[in-house]
Amino acid sequence: MEIVLALAIGTLAGSGIYLLLRPRTFQVIMGLSLLGYAVNLFIFGMGRLRSGAPPVIDPARGADPALYTDPVPQALVLTAIVIGFATTALFLVVLMASRGLNGTDHVDGREAEKQ
Amino acid sequence: MNWLQHLPILPVLVPLLAAALLLLPSETRRRRRAAMALAATVVQLVVAVVLLAMTDGRVPPAWGGEIGVYALGNWPAPFGIVLVVDRLAAIMLTLTAVLALATLVYSLARWERAGSHYLPLFQLLLMGLNGAFLTGDLFNLFVFFEVLLAASYGLVLHGSGATRVKAGMHYIAVNLVASLIFLIAAALIYGVTGTLNMAELAQRVARLDADGRTLFDVGAVLLGVVFLVKAGAWPLNFWLPRAYGAAAPPVAGVFAILTKVGVYALLRFATLLQDTGAPAPFGGDWLFYTGLVTIAAGSVGVLGAQRLSQVAGFLVIVSSGTLLAAFGFAGTTLTGPALYYLVSSVLASGAFFMVIEMAERDRKASADLLAVSFEAFGLQEKDSTEHPDEMGGVAIPAAMAFLGLVFFACVLLLTGLPPFSGFVGKFALIAAAIAVPPQAPLLHAGLFGAALLLSGLAGMIALSRLGIRVFWDSARPTPRLQWIEAGPVAVLVLLCLVLALDAGQSMAYFHAAAHSLHDAQAYVSAVLPVAGAGVAE
Amino acid sequence: MALTLVLLLPFLGSLLAAFLPSNARNAEAWLAGAVALGATLIVLSLYPQVAAEGVLRMSIPWAPALGIDFSLRMDGFAWLFALLVTGMGTLVVVYARYYMSPTDPVPRFFAFFLAFMGAMLGIVLSGNLIQMAMFWELTSLASFMLIAYWHHRADARRGARMALVVTGAGGLALLGGVLLLGHIAGGYDLDTVLAAGEVIQAHPWYPLALGLIALGALTKSAQFPFHFWLPHAMAAPTPVSAYLHSATMVKAGVFLLARLWPVLAGTDAWFWIIGGAGLCTLVIAGYLAIFQQDMKGVLAYSTISHLGLITLLLGMNSPLALVAAVFHIFNHATFKASLFMAAGIVDHETGTRNLQRLSGLYRAMPITATLAMVAAAAMAGVPLLNGFLSKEMFFAETIFLDRPEWQRIVLPLAATLAGMFSVAYSLRFIHQVFFGPKAEGLPREPHEPSRWMLLPSGLLVTACVLVGILPELTIGPLLRIATDAILGAGAPAYSLAVWHGLNLPLAMSAAAMVGGAVLYRVFLWRTSETVPLLEAIDGKRIFDWLQLALTSRASWLIERLSPPRLQMQVLAIVAVALGGALLPVLTKGMSWGTRPTTPADPAFVLLWLIGGVCALAVAWQAKYHRLAALIFAGGAGLATSLTFVWLSAPDLALTQLAVEVVTTVLILLGLRWLPRRDERYAQVQGPGATTRLRRLRDVLLAAVAGLGLAGLAYAVLSRPDVDGISPFFIEQALPQGGGLNVVNVILVDFRGFDTFGEITVLGIVALTVFALLRRFRPAPESVPLPRQQRGPDDPDGLVFEPAADPAAKLPTGYLMLPAVLVRLLLPLALLASLFFLLRGHNAPGGGFVGGLILATALLLQYVVGGIVWVEAHLRIRPLTWMVLGLLSAAGAGIGAWLTGSPFLTSVAWHGELPLLGELHLSSVLLFDLGVYMLVVGATVLMLIAIAHQSLRAHHRKPSGGAA
Repeated sequence: MEIVLALAIGTLAGSGIYLLLRPRTFQVIMGLSLLGYAVNLFIFGMGRLRSGAPPVIDPARGADPALYTDPVPQALVLTAIVIGFATTALFLVVLMASRGLNGTDHVDGREAEKQ
Repeated sequence: MNWLQHLPILPVLVPLLAAALLLLPSETRRRRRAAMALAATVVQLVVAVVLLAMTDGRVPPAWGGEIGVYALGNWPAPFGIVLVVDRLAAIMLTLTAVLALATLVYSLARWERAGSHYLPLFQLLLMGLNGAFLTGDLFNLFVFFEVLLAASYGLVLHGSGATRVKAGMHYIAVNLVASLIFLIAAALIYGVTGTLNMAELAQRVARLDADGRTLFDVGAVLLGVVFLVKAGAWPLNFWLPRAYGAAAPPVAGVFAILTKVGVYALLRFATLLQDTGAPAPFGGDWLFYTGLVTIAAGSVGVLGAQRLSQVAGFLVIVSSGTLLAAFGFAGTTLTGPALYYLVSSVLASGAFFMVIEMAERDRKASADLLAVSFEAFGLQEKDSTEHPDEMGGVAIPAAMAFLGLVFFACVLLLTGLPPFSGFVGKFALIAAAIAVPPQAPLLHAGLFGAALLLSGLAGMIALSRLGIRVFWDSARPTPRLQWIEAGPVAVLVLLCLVLALDAGQSMAYFHAAAHSLHDAQAYVSAVLPVAGAGVAE
Repeated sequence: MALTLVLLLPFLGSLLAAFLPSNARNAEAWLAGAVALGATLIVLSLYPQVAAEGVLRMSIPWAPALGIDFSLRMDGFAWLFALLVTGMGTLVVVYARYYMSPTDPVPRFFAFFLAFMGAMLGIVLSGNLIQMAMFWELTSLASFMLIAYWHHRADARRGARMALVVTGAGGLALLGGVLLLGHIAGGYDLDTVLAAGEVIQAHPWYPLALGLIALGALTKSAQFPFHFWLPHAMAAPTPVSAYLHSATMVKAGVFLLARLWPVLAGTDAWFWIIGGAGLCTLVIAGYLAIFQQDMKGVLAYSTISHLGLITLLLGMNSPLALVAAVFHIFNHATFKASLFMAAGIVDHETGTRNLQRLSGLYRAMPITATLAMVAAAAMAGVPLLNGFLSKEMFFAETIFLDRPEWQRIVLPLAATLAGMFSVAYSLRFIHQVFFGPKAEGLPREPHEPSRWMLLPSGLLVTACVLVGILPELTIGPLLRIATDAILGAGAPAYSLAVWHGLNLPLAMSAAAMVGGAVLYRVFLWRTSETVPLLEAIDGKRIFDWLQLALTSRASWLIERLSPPRLQMQVLAIVAVALGGALLPVLTKGMSWGTRPTTPADPAFVLLWLIGGVCALAVAWQAKYHRLAALIFAGGAGLATSLTFVWLSAPDLALTQLAVEVVTTVLILLGLRWLPRRDERYAQVQGPGATTRLRRLRDVLLAAVAGLGLAGLAYAVLSRPDVDGISPFFIEQALPQGGGLNVVNVILVDFRGFDTFGEITVLGIVALTVFALLRRFRPAPESVPLPRQQRGPDDPDGLVFEPAADPAAKLPTGYLMLPAVLVRLLLPLALLASLFFLLRGHNAPGGGFVGGLILATALLLQYVVGGIVWVEAHLRIRPLTWMVLGLLSAAGAGIGAWLTGSPFLTSVAWHGELPLLGELHLSSVLLFDLGVYMLVVGATVLMLIAIAHQSLRAHHRKPSGGAA
């Protein structure tokens, strides 16, 4: 399980970073969201992995920490997701504006000179 | 009950409420909205000054001891989030408020109209800054970084236009990447230490096993990289001059403090981790040499720039580099002077961004091109000895004279020439650096001093070239100034003068701040009253 | 007290002068004159005290933390210099009053003039070195302003900049030097430093300190090779040249050398650096002076040469030489200043300073001529004038130099040669201007100037003569207290007699006289335009070239040091982060943890096989098939949220899903505005070699980074749990937080402050998006409708589907049926969202998810119904929602103040509600409600902003649609 998740994170992050290094705005925004997934999973993983132990207190079983997975990373991920959502939307709009004003979707606002 | 106890939250709360309320009246009600924004900023300034006085004990603090702690939601640290007010935080708050007030007043003259929602975004930027300076919690620091960044995105794009959007996109992309790294770092640190509270962090690090320590260091390094991006350290600062150059002048003016947030965070963590040996970016030779390289790169930029706004951007980089090098320097004696330098350089760059806008206002861009080509081909009107002196001089109109003087003052400040605080700051830094050996290799002191003096020289060369071009271009029209534009700039410069004249007292305060800063134990025991509380043993 | 006054007076005067009207020539002159005269009188009045007590001190604490106080210190030497500065200032003010034309804006002139006087006095009277360095820079700045007084003239601007850069740089070096010196001596106070002679010379840093200080002094005193700025400073008005660039400022350098002579001099390093520079300057500048065409040019180079003489004397390491130096400082000031004044008068009356054109002015202006002749004679070192005395002393020193043989021969020869030069240029100066045939075609008809303009020069010349004839009675005592002040007990005995008998120095003088005369008569009767031998060396050109080279190199370099391309920046950040992260791992090493790993479920593996493929597919497709890429990204997102479900994080799964939907829709809306691009382009122009390399590099970097992150993740995942802060939350969620869903309790209570900031971010972004898009117009080529929406009758897509009719109950067109469903869905969505909001505290859900659900529903309305129709049917005020959201969240926090507890403390109320069951109402709920409202408001605001683009685009079309 752990190793799978780790590799998943790696794959997402790798593809994301590769896209970040590309010249087209759309590639960059895609890269950002992939990297976002990777980071969310990473944060989440910091609480270690447990299945079937959601941090919703079951009054019957009581509030023994041993019974539930670590809730803190989940809270952090939630915040991260929201902020990620916001920034993605923002970048999307800037991307549109740049396209509109500079007439190209190149990240530098002008086509790189062909070598 | 004691209302003053809520003082620490106000720097975050006031701008938020102000921003929210500023959204209600329609954009056409300029006077009302301006009044609201001004009131909010003034309140922040007052609060900041009171906190400053409290941390210094001049006003009886609303809390016991030097360092004030405000537990949000009344949850004890390390479980809840706490705000921590110590001298350093108070200094940064006050600096922010002063700069903000000046730039705000300035922007009311014309720039506020350049786009919508300027005033709310401005307040939210302040909220982010204040929060970042106050918070004592790692993840909360991230959140406030996001707040101030989001606001800064809005402000950097304020007024739109091709160049702004282009520079803004780079700025945004870079900071988004940095934020993701920040998240990784914060999560990793939590995963290893099991806490997010900075004070408890400092304690738990000491008790980590070897692997844990390594992982923690990785996290810390990543954190440091993020802060270095914010601080504009080379090679993480390519975006900075362009973003600052493209932003509307008052925005660039208030951005003068953004880089210092990164520096602040570095310093905060470095001092908290110092006892357990802070990893690479937080001090020691790494930071020192990074600072030197940054100074060098910045100076090259200053020399090469052809427009004043670019020079200003690179000067911001130089000042960041100076601070990084100072904090990287062995020993703790440079911290006090460095803080003094920080304050002075922030005020100066803030004023500079605004004054150059006023000076270059309604000036033909062609004039620059002409001047450039003149220099390029060494052309000049040929000088002869035939100057019948009766031709007389050219009187300078009042507005130009004012701008000239303020510009001159800013140049002195930024290049570290007397008699302003820039000189005092650089002098104090170099003097302290020379005094540090034998703890540090003599070479370091030499490099440091040389870097500071030479960067000053570079600034002098570039600014005299461009300044002459702008101010003594006989063809130029006299810019139209308004009092609310001239006033704030003058005030900022005068503050620097006061800082210099009162060097005795201010320097003493900064030394005290440095001292309490390096006494990490005081911070820890203030946040976690019972020594080692919350560490489930 | 008097000391402070002397220093303050000029600065106050300068302030006052700055505020007088620009035509108040007389008022300005009176003011400046009064100030200068007052200062002079005060200095004079201090003589008895100085003579008696030796040193006057005055100190005000300034920055004890830095070990500096503001302190003034006047000993005999300082006194003599102060007298020079103030007295000369007075004379020059009088002269300037008549020199400046009525049209000149004199306030600026006199303001900076007085400021300079103050700064110069500051140098002279400073009691500590740092303060001296400060005033040092101030003089550079003041001189910059004064040289550029006629800033409409190119040569004035350049001269000013040259002077500023050279002397300013020197000043910085000086600062460095005195910092070292002060550190060595254990204090910046002058007395401390002067007392620490041996320590300093023994210290390893001595050479460095000496070098830096020499740099400062030599640049300031225009010594070779830094001499070139002074001739160009001659673009300044003549009074400035007379005052700053002959009498005072250029003397600051030698003043400093003399001041620190006791502690720095006496070593070989000192001899070679200072003496060497002095000797070169003396000879070279003297030679150059002969060939100048501009009267002021001659004087400038002769000034340089004489400064060289003084520097050489100081460098000789002998007390007597020092005496001669101080003496010559004073003499040079007197005759050179009066010569400048003469030059100014000629310029003023004839309109030119060109030696070629001037001739035979003696008849027109006899008095001026006489004065000039006497002064020039003093400069040439003619007996019975002050110049002669100091020059004799100099010659004597060169002979009795205590150095190896060859130097004892070279030096006198060089000295005599220099003497010849100075005779030659003095002769030329006088002869060409005042004698010979009457000059023709001068710009103005020459005649004597007003008496007042002659007075200062007259007084100075008188001084030359008096000192020259009766040295002991006039200058003697002053010189003595000055030299005693420097040398203290070690001051040598000497006699200032005109006649020392027939000796070698006298012979050298004679040789110089004859040689000079011959030189002039034979070679220079008709001077060439250029300088023989040295025409190649032109300080100005070199300086300009340096400037230019510096600038262009720098801008070339900075293009590489901080490239303007985003990719490079991102690359740098990723690389630095990666390298930095690897550092600790490589240095300290690391092993996987010991935590027992949970067995991998094949389904989970499959899930991530798909997810991974999706991710790679995105990377592969994002350039040419955006839609495909978007869908794949959705796949990866889905895998992520499924993972959350799997690993017991229902809240995350919900949120991730909701966000997924909204983001995708937004991007879909945005996609429409990107330029078309499809594979065929790629086929046509295949990637170049460099592009391939770059891609390979990026792939490698990305792979390594990805692996690194995976490694980190696994390292932590495989570590045993840490006893962190989390147990507290689980234990206290119900008792203190009053909720079962721990995550939600953390979000809205334990760490509510984070959420508070987080929703603020959302709000800010919404505002930004709105502000940005309000101004923005889409690119013209993307205005036509996308192919999908085009009808058969409009190939170019510039005719739209029948404009939606606002009144219609349902949107018409091909989306009719979905629209019905969507409309029905809206109220349900509202209920659902409220449900999630309310149950959030105890079960997965919460304000954020709730808000997103509602927002999604609204979004669908837009997608399906079309903007016009939707906005005709439901009024949404996103801004208001946002404001209410923020206010209620903040309000929920502030409410706690009433109970005296900090911000965001929860105030609870339990109760039963039908159909929702046990409900926990509290300030927390209000807070969550705030989140809910803000999310709805912000999302919808962004949506509207983006959606409206299409409206804009279409509206633009009728009006031509041109960009």
